[in-house]
Amino acid sequence: MDPLTLFAVLLKDSALALGGLGSLPLLRQDLVATGFATDSQLVQALAIGRLSTGPNGLWIVSLGYQMAGLLGAAMALIASSIPPLVILPATAVARRWLLSVPFAGLVRGAALATAGLLCATGFSLIVPAGDVPSWWQVVIGIAAAVFTYQGRLHPAVVVIGGALLGLLLAR
Amino acid sequence: MRELARIFIAVGTQSVGGGTSTLFLLRRFLVERGAHLSEREFTEAWALCQLSPGIHLVALAGLLGQRVAGWRGVIVAVSGMMVPAAVITVAMTAAYGLIADQPLARAALQGMAPATGGMTLGLAIVLARDARRHGLRTVVDVSVVIVAFAVLLLTTVSSIAVIGAAALIGAVFLGRERPTTPEGAVG
Repeated sequence: MDPLTLFAVLLKDSALALGGLGSLPLLRQDLVATGFATDSQLVQALAIGRLSTGPNGLWIVSLGYQMAGLLGAAMALIASSIPPLVILPATAVARRWLLSVPFAGLVRGAALATAGLLCATGFSLIVPAGDVPSWWQVVIGIAAAVFTYQGRLHPAVVVIGGALLGLLLAR
Repeated sequence: MRELARIFIAVGTQSVGGGTSTLFLLRRFLVERGAHLSEREFTEAWALCQLSPGIHLVALAGLLGQRVAGWRGVIVAVSGMMVPAAVITVAMTAAYGLIADQPLARAALQGMAPATGGMTLGLAIVLARDARRHGLRTVVDVSVVIVAFAVLLLTTVSSIAVIGAAALIGAVFLGRERPTTPEGAVG
């Protein structure tokens, strides 16, 4: 994929996503399903995004770096930094509309759909298509979901725990 | 301006894992220690930022930077929070890339894949929990989640089309209650 197209995809998917992880299903469909990236690259990016500092949405910088080196990382950084700033002119000229009932419904609809898409993506990472996961991988997936939902365990601990169990149990 | 840069660089480089830890540090530096903003201003700004596309914490940095120092504040706050953190992310990715083909790294990846999948699942449930309405309306809202889940797993329909359709349906049928919570599934 040429750099300009990659930037366009990253920008589009960041602009249409809600939250730092919201672009995951969109990018997986645009980059993994089309063969430009792999699920392994996606997993590495997500894991590093959780271990690194700053917003967890920076996982796409890791993905950009894996796909196109420093240029890819810079493009991902710009693509993920621009769309959220639309809130600045929006609050200046349309604050009342942002707080209206229809807009609340629009954001709720998008958030619920994003939740469903993220559920499907998370499920696909635990149970990849055409592949049967080991019992311990299913246990890790369920435990990670529970710990994340409860919010009692730091995300970095969950990632490192998964990696350590992989080292112990993978053959 | 220098202090603003210092604050956002500190937030970008000291909060590990993003989400609530980044939000916590922002509140601590800007409200509790620096007194640049009141608790109410911070909470209102965060509620608005959850309506923005993309990374909500970037929107928050932009909004808070603008309040403190205008447009120059936006640039300083967003780049201060994002650039050093991105450099750290790239360094970690490059370091992992050096060992990615080693058997031990591959074994670790077999454990990290379900861990990241499970974390994605957990965050999705938090997002749905915070966005849903209460009472019988929960059934309608959960149905949207289930339909989106099934469409992505079972069809080749574009995810963007799913989000667009749900947003339209939401604008017409799913209003009435505010969709955001003070902290929610931040990122």
